[in-house]
Amino acid sequence: MSRRFNRTMMVCLWIVLAFMYIPIIAIIGMSFNGTPYGMFPYTFTTTWYSTLFSTSNLPAACWLSLKFSFLVALAALLIGTLTSFGLQYYSPKLARKLNFLLQLPIIIPWLVTSISILLLATFVGAGRSYVTMFLGNLIVVLPYVVLLVNARFLEMDRTPEAAAKLLGASSARVFWDVTLPGILPGVMAGGIMSLIVCFNNFCLQYYLAPVGVNTLPMTVFTRIRSGYQADLNALSAIIILIAVIIVILFSRMGYSAGSLFGMSSGKKAGKGE
Amino acid sequence: MGENKKKRSRFNPNSLWTLPSAGLLLCLTIAPLIMLLIFSFMNRNIFAGQVWPGWTMENITRMIGSGTFWKLLGKSLFVGLGVTAICIVVAYPSAWAIAKVVKPRYRSVFMMVVILPFFTSQLLLIYAMMNLIQSGGILTTALSALHINVKSILYTNGATVLILVYEYLPYMILCLYSSLEGINDNIVHASLILGANKAKTFANIVFPMSVPGLLSGILLVFVPVVGSFVEPGLVGGSNGMMVGSIINSQYKENLNMGYGAVLSCVLLIVLCLIMALISFATKHAQKRIGGDV
Repeated sequence: MSRRFNRTMMVCLWIVLAFMYIPIIAIIGMSFNGTPYGMFPYTFTTTWYSTLFSTSNLPAACWLSLKFSFLVALAALLIGTLTSFGLQYYSPKLARKLNFLLQLPIIIPWLVTSISILLLATFVGAGRSYVTMFLGNLIVVLPYVVLLVNARFLEMDRTPEAAAKLLGASSARVFWDVTLPGILPGVMAGGIMSLIVCFNNFCLQYYLAPVGVNTLPMTVFTRIRSGYQADLNALSAIIILIAVIIVILFSRMGYSAGSLFGMSSGKKAGKGE
Repeated sequence: MGENKKKRSRFNPNSLWTLPSAGLLLCLTIAPLIMLLIFSFMNRNIFAGQVWPGWTMENITRMIGSGTFWKLLGKSLFVGLGVTAICIVVAYPSAWAIAKVVKPRYRSVFMMVVILPFFTSQLLLIYAMMNLIQSGGILTTALSALHINVKSILYTNGATVLILVYEYLPYMILCLYSSLEGINDNIVHASLILGANKAKTFANIVFPMSVPGLLSGILLVFVPVVGSFVEPGLVGGSNGMMVGSIINSQYKENLNMGYGAVLSCVLLIVLCLIMALISFATKHAQKRIGGDV
């Protein structure tokens, strides 16, 4: 393509990045602003950070969300990895069908998922509880793990496994010593992805959390509805900082961001066999 | 059945490892959807601790007769299509720039920058955007300093669309990027050298080859946007309701779960139909153009 065309494309990219980042940069700036309501004049202060860590209810909610998402991610990681491993031994046609079914929780709107799970839970007698919330979030993040591990299986050389087996290793040993190291980046990426999706999933927690329990997204929602909150700015700034660290870790693990999304990788997984 | 037999002949016990998630899928996706269907025909609210409710067609007739529901469904689909279209138009050049213009070693840096917002909470993104566009916020202050007086668009439908685009744009860029990156530069060059103009090259080469990414992008943007209720509730103002809001209110305010179940069912069916249609149309277009992906 001509140079002028390419330059236009780059300008578009920068405009999009500006659109994406101006609100984020503004909120970091406002977290140090003494004048409340995100308004002017701008005076530098760190009061909101000390408020955040002394009187605010945000850290407690944050901690609860973190613990909860960690559990969900761990479960999703275990089940998802095994699922992807099992999928490799299906006929390609069947694997493609199962892959599609596994992606249903991504395709169905979260609102409908939450409502239907709430109905089932109420019917069974569990109602809104930690178990319901756990299972609901688990089924929503599970597809991400399967997708990411599938993609890894696709890139991986499977002959060492056959060799190990031929040389007399038990199936458990083959999985632990040969297969797992090969798919580990996918497993880790799946775990992190589940952690993040679960940590941020407002809808499912809004519907399934036990009455009176507030996770971070729910607390943030209530706070936004009641108006401007300066300590929320401080928390946003901290969360964005953590996100930057996670994203850098993610790319260090050798994960191209494109492979995270998209059913395309799932389709390829079916095709490639 | 014949296929079944063939499968058994090379059955590998390792395939049994899929059983746990198959079970979860059955209990947490399929069974709840069936419940949704069943509850559509029930007339009471079991949340209120009433005894086993009876059967009724009342919910269905009420749904069919409800002008508000159909109006909001139409509006949500319109917003969904609009937001998806805006995302596609905005994301194509950016995805192209990252995939083809940026030097390969900087590509992952740009991708990191694009996915970063995805890793922060969506509610925080909404909050950040609300702060920016509120009246008396940075944007209006900056504009009034330039002697341009505008009213803040916060609490209008425009704000809902803006925030939805803001939230879902990264998904579209990522999906398109993963497809565009796979296009061989030589094919594009060949097309241009052989005399096709840019529009033709785009229609015959770039577009067909980006269809898989485009489809997953549409799926990841359109479905959640149509089902959204948080954004319209927070920034849409009094006229901001979408179909998600009316479904949500059946559970959070009116406690009419049978009616809410019917509305969810209809929403799900409509979404499935539209997605099937889009997928069919795009694949058809792709075949007719002659792209083989």
